[in-house]
Amino acid sequence: MTTTVLHTPARAADEVASIIEGLYATVDVWRAELAGHLAAPEQLSAARIDPLVEAFAVPAVTDDPLITGAGFVAAPGLLEDAHWHLAWWLGSPGSGVRRLATVDDETSDQFRDYTALEWWRVPFRTGARHLTGPYVDYLCTDDYTVTLTVPIVADGEFLGVVGCDALVERIESRLLPALSALDAPAAIVNAAGRIVTATDARREPGAILRLAGLTEALAPLRDAHPISVATQLPGGESVRSCGASGLALIVG
Amino acid sequence: MPRSPGHRDATRSVVFAPLDDGTARAELVARRLSDAIVGGLLRDGERLPSEAELARSLGVALVTARDALESLRDNGMVRTVRGRDGGSFVTYDREAAARTLDARLQGHSRIELRDLSVHLSAIAGTAAELAAERASDDDLESLVGIHEEADLTTEGGARRAVLRFQLEVAAISQSPRLVREEVRLQSEAGPLVWLCLREEEYRERTAVARAKTIAAIREVSPTDARAAILDLIEDATEWLIDEKLRLDAGAARPPGGLR
Repeated sequence: MTTTVLHTPARAADEVASIIEGLYATVDVWRAELAGHLAAPEQLSAARIDPLVEAFAVPAVTDDPLITGAGFVAAPGLLEDAHWHLAWWLGSPGSGVRRLATVDDETSDQFRDYTALEWWRVPFRTGARHLTGPYVDYLCTDDYTVTLTVPIVADGEFLGVVGCDALVERIESRLLPALSALDAPAAIVNAAGRIVTATDARREPGAILRLAGLTEALAPLRDAHPISVATQLPGGESVRSCGASGLALIVG
Repeated sequence: MPRSPGHRDATRSVVFAPLDDGTARAELVARRLSDAIVGGLLRDGERLPSEAELARSLGVALVTARDALESLRDNGMVRTVRGRDGGSFVTYDREAAARTLDARLQGHSRIELRDLSVHLSAIAGTAAELAAERASDDDLESLVGIHEEADLTTEGGARRAVLRFQLEVAAISQSPRLVREEVRLQSEAGPLVWLCLREEEYRERTAVARAKTIAAIREVSPTDARAAILDLIEDATEWLIDEKLRLDAGAARPPGGLR
């Protein structure tokens, strides 16, 4: 006799959370390591910090199947030899590892003030970790990506963010089995309601899921320290936060 | 004699089509850079990346990058300085630049120009349509930022604003393929298609089109977003074809005649 094992939404949400938590755990190790060096009393320089970042970023993008980018972005003015500084490495199977080329000259047309970008702006404002995306990373790789960033703060001073990029298609292939095991259509959305993946072909990744009451239901996920959400929308769909990942599971 | 190929033949011809259009790669690199110089994306006196950096970022062989820079030097668009503070620097001569673009415009047939515009419309229009459905509040904010920062006093400034805005709209569509195609098309066709930005009136029109696009995206109206972008491309194309016809007519006249 065959039995179909059905997941409960709570269990599926836990699985989503554990994948994202796994990535955050990796980034947290880097944060702790870098924070120690950044707290040193001597003057900080890119020349000294870059090799430390490279030492964790290159193995991560080479060996971790989910991670395609990793590194550290310094607060403007933190480093004596580089006012604006990104130490970010990219890697994908078959194409090797490369360092992200950046333009640090403020007068150049290619210069982008990264403090205006979501992956910097939100952790800076809240002091807490943040998941940006999914989005098309056209400054970097042109891939469909999520970026996880964690702030490094010492004595109340914001020193920068450390983080990683993960391809949405790779996260999706890990998430879909959990979603497919539910007995109703399911979608994973970010705090803005953007679909990361869904079991229903009409709910496309990247689209905003427009359901009555969803924006309001997701509001707690946009807080600095999100509280968990488990609620029902007027249309009957259930909304459940996936741990503290910043993502939510919609069933129905 | 034209003959309709069978379905099988047509699909085979796609499979075995040449991987690029056959133009020498050095020439493609040189054209990309000269377009950027002529269109004001690279400024007079700006230092270009080294041959090695250029080769790496464009994904071509070192010798290809070297050949491209040499042909730019021959055309007087780049000056190379030896020594410790050396490198290749943009030398922008407004008159020479205008002549280069005019020659390129005359080199294209009317049909080619129209087709270019159709292609650009297909990509930019679809991007705008999808962006209207998919923009978050954050996305809207970044579009408004680009709109407000636009410098309409110069041709280069207006073109940079068009480029950044279109690229951001494509990114908001959430389609990596549309983004890649938008980048490719804008670098290939941008300098030609946006020639109308020489005129202040057309620079103003780009601002109007941006405002309309932003409003349509805010109201989640894909049809209006598409229309706003397509109207702008249509205006630019009509200007371009008028200009081409004018140049062609001028070239047919004896030298010294009216332009």
